[in-house]
Amino acid sequence: MKKIIVEGLKYKYPLSDTLALADLSFEVSEGEFIGIIGENSAGKSTLCQALVGLVPHFYKGAYGGKVFVDGLEVKSHSIAEIALKVGMVFQNPFTQVTGSKMSVYEEIAFGLENIGLPRLEIIERTNYVLNLLKIEKVKDHNPFDLSGGQMQRMAIASIIAMKPDILVLDEPTSQLDPAGSEEVFSAIQKLSKQGITVILAEHKMEKVARYCDRVLLLNNGKSVDFDSPEKVFSRKDLEDHGVVAPVYTRVCKALGVKMAASDYYPVTLEDAERALRGRME
Amino acid sequence: MKSISLYVERDSFIHEVDPITKMIYILFALLIPIILPSFTISFLCLGISLLLLVMAKVIRKTVPVFSFVFLVLITVVIIQGLFKPENETVLFQMGPLAMYKEGLLYALTITLRVMNIVSSFMILVLTTKPSDLVEALVRKGMSPRIGYVIVSVFQIIPEMMSSMGTITDAQRARGMETEGNVIVRIKAFVPLLGPVILGSLINTKERAMALEVRGFNSRAPKTYLYEEKTYTHGRLVQSVMLLLVVGAIVWRIFA
Amino acid sequence: MIKVSNLSFSYKKGGPQVLSGVNLEFDKRSTAIIGQNGAGKTTFVKLLKGLLKPDEGEILVHHFDAKLKTAAEMARTIGLVFQNPNDQIFKRTVLEEVMFGPLNIKMGKHTAEKQAIKALKMVELEDKLEMNPHDLSLSEKKLLCIASVVAMDTDIIIFDEPTIAQDHHGKETIRYIIHALKEQNKLVMTIIHDMEFVAENFERTVVFNEGKVLLDGDTRFVFSQKDTLNKAKVEAPGITQLAEKLGIKNTILTVEELIRVSGTM
Repeated sequence: MKKIIVEGLKYKYPLSDTLALADLSFEVSEGEFIGIIGENSAGKSTLCQALVGLVPHFYKGAYGGKVFVDGLEVKSHSIAEIALKVGMVFQNPFTQVTGSKMSVYEEIAFGLENIGLPRLEIIERTNYVLNLLKIEKVKDHNPFDLSGGQMQRMAIASIIAMKPDILVLDEPTSQLDPAGSEEVFSAIQKLSKQGITVILAEHKMEKVARYCDRVLLLNNGKSVDFDSPEKVFSRKDLEDHGVVAPVYTRVCKALGVKMAASDYYPVTLEDAERALRGRME
Repeated sequence: MKSISLYVERDSFIHEVDPITKMIYILFALLIPIILPSFTISFLCLGISLLLLVMAKVIRKTVPVFSFVFLVLITVVIIQGLFKPENETVLFQMGPLAMYKEGLLYALTITLRVMNIVSSFMILVLTTKPSDLVEALVRKGMSPRIGYVIVSVFQIIPEMMSSMGTITDAQRARGMETEGNVIVRIKAFVPLLGPVILGSLINTKERAMALEVRGFNSRAPKTYLYEEKTYTHGRLVQSVMLLLVVGAIVWRIFA
Repeated sequence: MIKVSNLSFSYKKGGPQVLSGVNLEFDKRSTAIIGQNGAGKTTFVKLLKGLLKPDEGEILVHHFDAKLKTAAEMARTIGLVFQNPNDQIFKRTVLEEVMFGPLNIKMGKHTAEKQAIKALKMVELEDKLEMNPHDLSLSEKKLLCIASVVAMDTDIIIFDEPTIAQDHHGKETIRYIIHALKEQNKLVMTIIHDMEFVAENFERTVVFNEGKVLLDGDTRFVFSQKDTLNKAKVEAPGITQLAEKLGIKNTILTVEELIRVSGTM
């Protein structure tokens, strides 16, 4: 069975006149790394929140359609129950720090205490994720004393410790510097390689092209396309949907250089180099 | 500063006593002088509290608090000494003003009561980590959500204060004057209020969402990372205090 | 226009130096300031603005010593657009919000209103004058903040991370604004992480690392210094890297340049 099933999802925020999500349907298989792109009001964040239950349980509002995560229907389960299947990391590193714990170690254990795990298991899991996200060195620091990149890695660690099979990230690097951004992307890629299903909403198209198996392009709450990065970024109408292709694709499009034996343009630095070399020789 | 708690780390017997006992002590220090209203008892209670503060090696930290309390109490002493309605016996004369015995004694009663409350409170606040206090209460049955709210206040307020710095900078950058006379400084307050409050509301909403996905509202029974802290002599001290209160009530009734 | 000599600063007396011995001169060229978080970029900009006072060294803005002026007085000459619009917005209408700055620096009410409307036209918000600022979307709020500072008509205007969380349309608007400001002969500076945006819009780039200036010069030159950029934990834009891999000798900054160069190959 597919890991995530979305059927005819519709949603309207309480004080709004327009649908934030308008009849979305798609499926995601286990272990896929999906990128969600689109302009600012396209519905990326809303969709992320619909996968963890914040929509509709936190916001209320008008909800229609079905969302299944790992067999569980979002509408009929509490956020805490869904949190065992799907974890979410938000944009702002600061507001994900609970403020009730004095060390990174305790901060990570917080979620595990909430879901009632036995002590030995809490310790085991916390040690594991500290190591996985490479933040063991700061485990005794005050959570507010970390850099932005470290804080986001701590947020990811706190979520992963709860062992969800699916990880949703809503523009997790937008407030980080390039080095912090890179740290977070490597961590996410590592998790993806371990088999976790990753859903990432992003503006950095070069990163989406590099890491994602498939890309979901949203516009006005609707799905415009859901396919491999090459196919989506090769579309001629990207700018109509408020999105630009990665810079490498733009160059190749302008020069009319497609990938060898393919109908599509390159989307990464390496592919673009290969294709353009061929052209230049 | 990362936390606004007044907790002072020291190696003392008092620090090893459990928070619940210290909370009961505050009640104890409050009740005894009420049950047995005499100066001797009040002085005794105050003496015990001060002794405990010395034993906890935190007496120096109480100086600023006591100084502030003294300042306030001095006004009480003066006002009561000069103007209390039942004043009759003059203790001494200062030109046209007379200090009366009744007023002064009444002021002394109030002073002792306040000092008692403050010092017993200080014992709790200076020797207990907020997280330990809250954990003790949650283990006894308080809702973990309320526990979270209490503990998070200590770290989140400094965060709010630093964001207030950013907001002030943003308004100063637009030409709002903050340096100058009192009027100028008061006027500078208005452009800060909105953003500070809004910022806090937005942060609170984002934090609430982050907490939700960390299982905050899970109905599973909560577990703890740390072993339950075993506090020395907790039961013994609580029993002694209870006995003393009962003794005081008995004395009051029969004496 | 701005001359910085031997500038040093730490937040706590005797504490770690956030900036040490910085020497920079700014002329009319649009300048981007890049570097890791914690390298001292924001602190530097706050010192220029008079929000902080230097421990050592001198900052001369138009030959005035910034140390002798308050931040509010400096606001007449240097404008700074902060990152988070919610840190700043407090008036009830868009127009009042944008007039706040000009009124503070003692422009008459009539002039302030004219300037405000002009600025709002530039950011495409002129049809929302009477709206409550908090009813705007986050992108629109950021544009509102830009308008609030542009309306003060300062000679120098500094942006703090203008492109964070902006989509394509948002970036285009900011690009247009920067261009318009350059046309008005203003010195435009920015702190920014988006290297592609830097390459396409800023003539000069200064790289900060651990409180010191590591590189300072034409953007084209700066992005060719791979080793130094590495040290500061920043990278050249993707297009520059692609051109380098293809063996193109010149440092390429934009898609258009690469197309032109490959046309001649």
